[in-house]
Amino acid sequence: MTIAVVLLALLGSAWLLAVIEAWLTTGRLRPAAPLLAGLSHLGRESILPRKPDRLFFETAPVLLLVVAVLGAAVLPLAPGLIIADLATGALFVNAALAYVLVALIMAGWGPNGAYAMVGGWRFLGQLIAYAMLVVMPITAVAMRAESLLTSTIVTSQAGLWNIIYQPLGFVLFFIAAMALAFRAPFDLPTAPGELAGGVDAEYTGVRLAVLRLARLVLVITLAAATTVFYLGGWHGPLLPPWAWSLIKILTVAVAMLLAGHYLPRIREADLLGWCWKLGIPLALLNILIVGLMILVVP
Amino acid sequence: MSATQQYVLLLGLALGTVGVVLCLYGLARSMGSTRGEPGKDVPASAGVLSRDPVWGRYHARYYGYALLFLAFDMEMAYMYPWAVVYKEIGLVALVDMGVFLAILFLGLLYGWSQGALRRQ
Repeated sequence: MTIAVVLLALLGSAWLLAVIEAWLTTGRLRPAAPLLAGLSHLGRESILPRKPDRLFFETAPVLLLVVAVLGAAVLPLAPGLIIADLATGALFVNAALAYVLVALIMAGWGPNGAYAMVGGWRFLGQLIAYAMLVVMPITAVAMRAESLLTSTIVTSQAGLWNIIYQPLGFVLFFIAAMALAFRAPFDLPTAPGELAGGVDAEYTGVRLAVLRLARLVLVITLAAATTVFYLGGWHGPLLPPWAWSLIKILTVAVAMLLAGHYLPRIREADLLGWCWKLGIPLALLNILIVGLMILVVP
Repeated sequence: MSATQQYVLLLGLALGTVGVVLCLYGLARSMGSTRGEPGKDVPASAGVLSRDPVWGRYHARYYGYALLFLAFDMEMAYMYPWAVVYKEIGLVALVDMGVFLAILFLGLLYGWSQGALRRQ
């Protein structure tokens, strides 16, 4: 029952995000469009490029979807409304989402196409930039909650949300989450208009439908992680807990969309430079500040 | 639910997701197959096959960052257990990890001064 509810919430949020994304780009609100597009992909040809690495080519979209779903499975939507409340939940989110890199390298390598391969390798550089900014802010969150249980992390924010307690960590995590979900302005591996679609380039038909679904679910998973770690999870007045979770998740996801809508794509060299020269010192400072606050404020 | 049961559940979820995708593939297959026509399977590269082999050697121009990344990633393995017991141990924990992080951070600064933080 819980599993069905969580998965439905995940799919529903992904659908809503797709509708809003289309609304932003085309200016038309068409609620059925994502479903129709998905169905039409089923009827289209799914072409296999010549001399592919078949195993990598077939695995990539499935792996991306599986890791996004696994990441969402350890994040609570309401008290008790969580598929698996692991004792190492916050770490598990990391571990699952590390496979996004593997999936994208596979998607780049598999089709034996130049643009796809460039996109895949680029994401490897992108991982080296954002990875520390995902894990270091989560450490500061775990320090306050004294636990890696995602539900305990939420309850630790009952009095004061982490976005106020550690705003620096929130900003760093939000940016890193966008880079992890390869949303614009960090869409280096797909880079529409530059790499002819990059890792997406060779996928057609039903495989492309799965890949697109996986990307949407990945964004929702990361928005859910941001909600759980920084926005107080299900906490909020009047409305029931699950409603607050969904509102916050969608707000974060739409904020990611809007940020990408108005910012130009960043170069890989610049991304690496900014993340290592500014991001990591700030992330370490965030850990120090949170550490001192925990000791000084009882 | 015990930890083992939780992991079994997550494994089941992963397998279930794979199963759903395979069902979708089967559905698409049942609606018709791809016709093999010449030139259709050329990867997206302006209609011609790429001149150079795609699976060639790739110059990882960020290798300076990559080496530092290894050091920082190892450090993170120690940070998680430390973060959980931090409040309990208190000041000693802060000093312990502070020294460790300071050394690592000096390494970052040294690498920066030597030009490691640059796309080579």
